Amino acid sequence: MDSVTVVVIGGGATGTGILRDLSMRGVKTLLIERGDLASDASGRFHGLLHSGARYAVTDPRSAKECIEENAILRRIGKHCVEKTEGFFVRLEGDGEDYEGQWVAGCAAARIHAKRVDLKEARRLEPHLSRRAVSVFRVPDSAIDGFRLCWQNVASARRYGGEVRTYTEATGIERAGDRVVGVTVCDTLTGAVDSIGCDHVVNAAGSWVGRVASWAGIEVDVKPDRGVLIAFNHRFTNRVINRLRPPANGDIFVPHGPITVLGTTSSPVASADDNVPHVEEVLELLHNGTELFEDLPKYRILRAYAGARPLYSPGEGRAASRDFTILDHSTDGLRGLTSAAGGKLTSYRLMAEKTADVVCRELGVKAACRTAAEPMVEDPPRRLVTRARPFFPPYGLDLAASRLGAAFGPVVQGLQMHPEERRLICECEMVTLAEVESAAREPTTFNLGDIRRRTRMGMGTCQGAFCSLRAVGALVSHDLVADKDGKALIRDFLETRWKGIRPVLWGDQIREAEFQREVYAATLNLDGTAQR
Amino acid sequence: MKGYLYDSDRCMACTSCTVVCPVAAATREFLGPKMVGPALSRFRRPALAPDLAADLCSNCKNCDISCPSGVPISTLNMLSKAEYYRHHRHRLRDWVLSHGQLMGNLATPFVPLSNLAIANPISRTMLGAFGFAGRMPLPAYVRKTFRKQFRALRQQSFPQKVVFFPGCYIDFYDPGVGLDFVAVMQANEYEVVVPRGLGCCGTPMVANGFPGAAERAVRRNVRALQEWTDAGVPVVACCTSCSLTLKQEQQELFDVPGAAELAARVYDATEFLLELRDRGKLKTDLKQLSGRYLYHAPCHLRDQGIGRPGFEMLGSLPGLEISDADAGCCGLSGSYGFKGDRYEVAQAVGDALFKKVRASGADAVISECGTCRHQITVATGAKTLHPISVMRRAFE
Amino acid sequence: MSACDVVVIGGGLSGLVAAAAAAERDKKVVLIAKGVGAIAVGSGSIDVLGYEAGGKPVARPLAEMGKLPSNHPYARAGKQATAKAFEFFLDLCEKGGFPYSGSADVARWVPTAIGTLKPTCFLPRSMDPAPLEAAKAAVVVGFRGLKDYYPELIIRGLMQVPAYPKRFRTVIVDPEMAGRDVNALDIARWLDTESGRHACIEQMLTGIAPGNVVLVPPVLGTVPNYGVLEEFEKATTCKFIEITGMPPAITGLRLYDLLVSEIKKRGVRIVEHATVTRAVVDNGRCTAVVTHGVDRERTHPARSFILATGGFYSGGLEAGVGSAREPVFGLPVKVPESQSDWSNAFLLSGGAQPFARFGLDVDARLRPTDGSGKAVFENVYAVGRTLSGFDDAFEKSGNGVAVVTGYRAGTLVA
Repeated sequence: MDSVTVVVIGGGATGTGILRDLSMRGVKTLLIERGDLASDASGRFHGLLHSGARYAVTDPRSAKECIEENAILRRIGKHCVEKTEGFFVRLEGDGEDYEGQWVAGCAAARIHAKRVDLKEARRLEPHLSRRAVSVFRVPDSAIDGFRLCWQNVASARRYGGEVRTYTEATGIERAGDRVVGVTVCDTLTGAVDSIGCDHVVNAAGSWVGRVASWAGIEVDVKPDRGVLIAFNHRFTNRVINRLRPPANGDIFVPHGPITVLGTTSSPVASADDNVPHVEEVLELLHNGTELFEDLPKYRILRAYAGARPLYSPGEGRAASRDFTILDHSTDGLRGLTSAAGGKLTSYRLMAEKTADVVCRELGVKAACRTAAEPMVEDPPRRLVTRARPFFPPYGLDLAASRLGAAFGPVVQGLQMHPEERRLICECEMVTLAEVESAAREPTTFNLGDIRRRTRMGMGTCQGAFCSLRAVGALVSHDLVADKDGKALIRDFLETRWKGIRPVLWGDQIREAEFQREVYAATLNLDGTAQR
Repeated sequence: MKGYLYDSDRCMACTSCTVVCPVAAATREFLGPKMVGPALSRFRRPALAPDLAADLCSNCKNCDISCPSGVPISTLNMLSKAEYYRHHRHRLRDWVLSHGQLMGNLATPFVPLSNLAIANPISRTMLGAFGFAGRMPLPAYVRKTFRKQFRALRQQSFPQKVVFFPGCYIDFYDPGVGLDFVAVMQANEYEVVVPRGLGCCGTPMVANGFPGAAERAVRRNVRALQEWTDAGVPVVACCTSCSLTLKQEQQELFDVPGAAELAARVYDATEFLLELRDRGKLKTDLKQLSGRYLYHAPCHLRDQGIGRPGFEMLGSLPGLEISDADAGCCGLSGSYGFKGDRYEVAQAVGDALFKKVRASGADAVISECGTCRHQITVATGAKTLHPISVMRRAFE
Repeated sequence: MSACDVVVIGGGLSGLVAAAAAAERDKKVVLIAKGVGAIAVGSGSIDVLGYEAGGKPVARPLAEMGKLPSNHPYARAGKQATAKAFEFFLDLCEKGGFPYSGSADVARWVPTAIGTLKPTCFLPRSMDPAPLEAAKAAVVVGFRGLKDYYPELIIRGLMQVPAYPKRFRTVIVDPEMAGRDVNALDIARWLDTESGRHACIEQMLTGIAPGNVVLVPPVLGTVPNYGVLEEFEKATTCKFIEITGMPPAITGLRLYDLLVSEIKKRGVRIVEHATVTRAVVDNGRCTAVVTHGVDRERTHPARSFILATGGFYSGGLEAGVGSAREPVFGLPVKVPESQSDWSNAFLLSGGAQPFARFGLDVDARLRPTDGSGKAVFENVYAVGRTLSGFDDAFEKSGNGVAVVTGYRAGTLVA
């Protein structure tokens, strides 16, 4: 049995943020996550780093928090934030009164919202609806949730923080009124273990209630489902919000080559239910078409769903997005803290407040430093210049951003072994060296793990070409345990399929037919081989 | 807004274009059309610095011909080239190669001096220093341009009119083809009109990253032709790159009023004649011809979606023996093969065709495109003809 | 456009075979192709019927066809036409100098790039798996940098196949290619050259011995003949077997080139890069189809029309939300009302995919029918993946159905 000071349960933004915060304060901390990092809400949202403007009318406190955290994250998270800025767009027929309230709300929260001349707005975003009547510019940005979690971990590791993925907490061990450890299960092998600790942080997002219930404590976190659509192209260079009371399908966020449209909001019984339905997709498309008239012509890559952890008596979007830190010593159990609710933009603040509670209880005096220090260092300029010839156009900057500290070793590999430069994923420009680097991570077990670190398989062909290539290369280099690699390919294609199935028309049905021609008709991945 | 943003959405990454791309076959430096076109186009919107990955693309359009999804890959490539040159300086050589009309207007009054000035060993060396291919002679200017000769021509007047779009190659290098066209039309009771104000179709400017100049050329041509297109008179070109540009490329790239109306009236010469023949409008008492010919279909004809009307017409002329070379792109692609750093690629692309020409023992090679003919002649020494020149012998 | 007897719409396998069969009967044929068709996506092997509906492998495909439901394309084409179609196909390949072999009544299992075996029937000699079946050991040749082909993946997979014990060795050939990434086409082009073949043979000989069975990616030349294969066999006295792999599939391209050149020889006129957008109909007959470029429409009159436009991938079928259509003739395509019934929860398991079976219902003469089973046009025939009632990827029957229905339509047209 291992022993640490603090165990954090949950590998989303909040959990990894707490891991980083505690590690930076010198507290020996281990994070456990039942799947891969960012595999739930932190990787299943629109990827919007709020300026706060969206909450300017409905939730002024959130608005203020957002703009402050937004500024911090742009600074410390340079390599997971794309500083796109955002537009708030009022269309013909949208209430003018709301615009006035919104402008006042932004001013009150100190969110810089500046009116943009309509002609200029159209020049900057030529695909935007002709029905736009008012456009404001705000400091919204795009943020990569996968990368955010990984870079938090990378930063935490420099201070001794540790992570175990595919490790599910199954119980909280207590001695009297004190927490003494957690029982865990390896989700890949089924092996059971327990980890001793002085304190457990429950950062399980929508599952916070479940974790607390093991200690006999009730925490009422309600999962609220949101569905999103990823499009094949970046048809907007800015975050586009509809300037009206928040509703379904009125946010567009550009991410590298793609655009995400979100979201819906509906209470669900279980946050595990993350398969989107056709009806939800159609509602999003219907609403989104008001902001981008050509939207029905744009190719969809996939749809996906995640669950917001709402902690409040109310339900749905009207509820405050504020987070709450629950020190369960008030419930008669010492050594358990739950971080309930929250949103990604303010994850760092939530982590700070949680770590404050934990440190107070542990008697640790160190102050929070997470807002001051960048999560990953910039790669040295000379290294970037040297690396340029090894990458396809645009590939270098993408790699430099997503690789963090691994960039140096990857470049060295590319220089020494030119065949490592081959693109495994030609849609997202991912080289073999990067795939291998991700595969060598002790936390990597399948192609999905590699995908979340590299974006492999997230582009146009949705895995049609890269699955075979990645598995072939990994098998050749003995980087996978799987006996023949076929299950890895199949699992990867099936997880992609989950997102394609609810949008099976237009070009997606063509791509699905193509994938089956390759993997079923030509390679017989689906049939038995009785001879 | 033009449709290409979502047209590249139709790419299935199937690699058909990469298979047929002659440049990718000839050089490993070219990433191939799928990568340079649809794949990279996804990154060009967010990118701060435009890329030059498409620079090796010769705009031959074999990718477009093969694409099962109808993606205008070559147009994506030309757009990215244009974007690059919005931020970077052109080479003087590319300016010269893409402004053939201006160069022609300057040079033709001084023929043969101007040709001598280009072809002598000292200036060839200097041209080499500017990036021209030393081993690829530029075609020689004629003393009297097609338009000059046309103006001197006495045509018989007929009620049926057809507009002829000469283009730079015929005007400055090969006026005989234009005169042959006039003769064939006259023999079939058509009067040929060449309106004032016509110039370069714009395709060399597009291929070399001068979209502004190309668009100006398109506007000028649309204006010069408007009165005729309004009257429903067909516009015919003997150069397949000109006809392709007038039909398609100018519409894909620019938003010029009247371009669509013009495109609907444009014909390649052989396409026009085949349609007349099918409607029983051509003379049928043809002269008996003789000779063995090899036919080469220019890529820019194949891209037009009209089959091989020239080959079909020739096959129906009495006494002619003609076979289809079917050996792919000639490699020159307008201005591409004249460039020093493209010469080797252009020669490698054309190699299969050159072999076929040499082995054929044909009396001449027939092809609609002037630069294809130039490339074939320089590489193989074979005599080359435009189909219209052969047809003239049968019709007159 | 000049009038002709038959317009074939679509330049994939079914269209090419239909054009060849019609031209063989001295019909004047025009083939209109949008792009190159899906041949190069597949491997060029003619899969006839690999699995029955329940997923059980089929040992004798021709015999099994008798059990297929009446709306399956094979059942529509009939037993006699099916047998004749394969004879015709074999004859075409023979005449083109690239003979295929096999029988529609014997399943043959070919190795794939992921180390599975795939059931098929007709193969070029370079893909014949018989030597591998007879051997106790084999060599897998890889090429340095070739990114769609990994010998270790193939070996690990084949080791898992029940009753397929083999000892495998690997030999890696270095084509010494700089520049962009290496695909199978690059290697095949390298082996088209004499120097490439010599270098390859020389390197292979360091790891193979006379009499070995050697698995190679589909790279033995781009041209549809056995020149490279024979030179390799002669120089090494080994047996070579090409494995099926990812696009660009060279073995499929060879078949495409072979068929295009055969139909040209038979006088078929090909119109490339033209999309047929609509038909001109008159009193239950189609009189012409219309192509539309960026410039204008063009009319192609004929006496008969063969619709060989493929499925969703090729654009022969188009899907919107909750509906599907055939874009040229506007023929009915039946689909379930709810979009969620279009597909299975899994892409690659759980039997045939509903959407893969969407297509045109036809009568016994392959003419698309309306809801009542009556032919919509007396002179329009549909072939290949455009047809309903079969999931080619699940059954492994795509190329077989293309050959059989293409041939059948080519023999029916007036």
